[in-house]
Amino acid sequence: MNPLLLETALRVAGLILAGLTLANFVAARRFAYRENLAASAVMVRQVFQVHCAYIVAIISALALLCLGWPGLLLDDGMGRVLSAFFGLFWLSRVIVQLSYYDRQTRRLNRGWDLFFLGVFLVLAAIFTLAALPR
Amino acid sequence: MKELLHLGLQLGGWSLVVLCIASLWIPKMLGWREKVAGLTPLMREVWWTYSCYIWGSHVFFAVLALGFPDWLTGRSPAAAAMSGFMLLWWSVRLWLQFFGYDLAEVATTPANRIAKHLLTLLFLSLVTLYSLLLAWNAGWIGTGEL
Repeated sequence: MNPLLLETALRVAGLILAGLTLANFVAARRFAYRENLAASAVMVRQVFQVHCAYIVAIISALALLCLGWPGLLLDDGMGRVLSAFFGLFWLSRVIVQLSYYDRQTRRLNRGWDLFFLGVFLVLAAIFTLAALPR
Repeated sequence: MKELLHLGLQLGGWSLVVLCIASLWIPKMLGWREKVAGLTPLMREVWWTYSCYIWGSHVFFAVLALGFPDWLTGRSPAAAAMSGFMLLWWSVRLWLQFFGYDLAEVATTPANRIAKHLLTLLFLSLVTLYSLLLAWNAGWIGTGEL
């Protein structure tokens, strides 16, 4: 695939990832994370908050990388390994959504369910294409 | 210095492999399944999903350290950025170890105490390793023989 086209696709991925970073904060309010965790054990609450923060850090760092230095993700060696990791990361997220997440919650939020499935699929496709040999 | 960093990456990488394998027992040791049972299905699913992704990131860090030491010590801006990201990652984890997590719910058995000290030592070592790596890649420390 044309490297210039891939760079553009990675910049688009960067914009999507920036949106996903924000979506994490919206989801926290929409699904009332704070209230849901209030009655749980301290360990459960703390591990959840820490893991959320680390996930947001990964996604926002990747957004920054895609928007600022997409060429690095296309470099032979490390760049392609990073792209392959994130291709797998987002593909696994599609599988998790389809096979693990509660069907009733997905049905009740069908629009968002399909939207995020599409987003994860697009990200998986872009990073997988970036990882492929040229 | 570069040889020392390579050795550090080998040790750090294998320590991460041990951490990833040991992490598989954490849910059982700390009774996570029972503790998250009271959450709503969606919260429980997000909880486990995020835990798995964090675990996957640690696996990836181990692969980087063991498989790409030349790249990680290559003094490129990308290597400096990656070292900086991993330094931030482990620094936050070290801070949480001392000031963030409330471990009052964890039984103070000898095994748990040893595990806690080993984890603290690991996080300290990783912070040291990635600080040196960042300093090296940024050109703050030289190429002189040690």
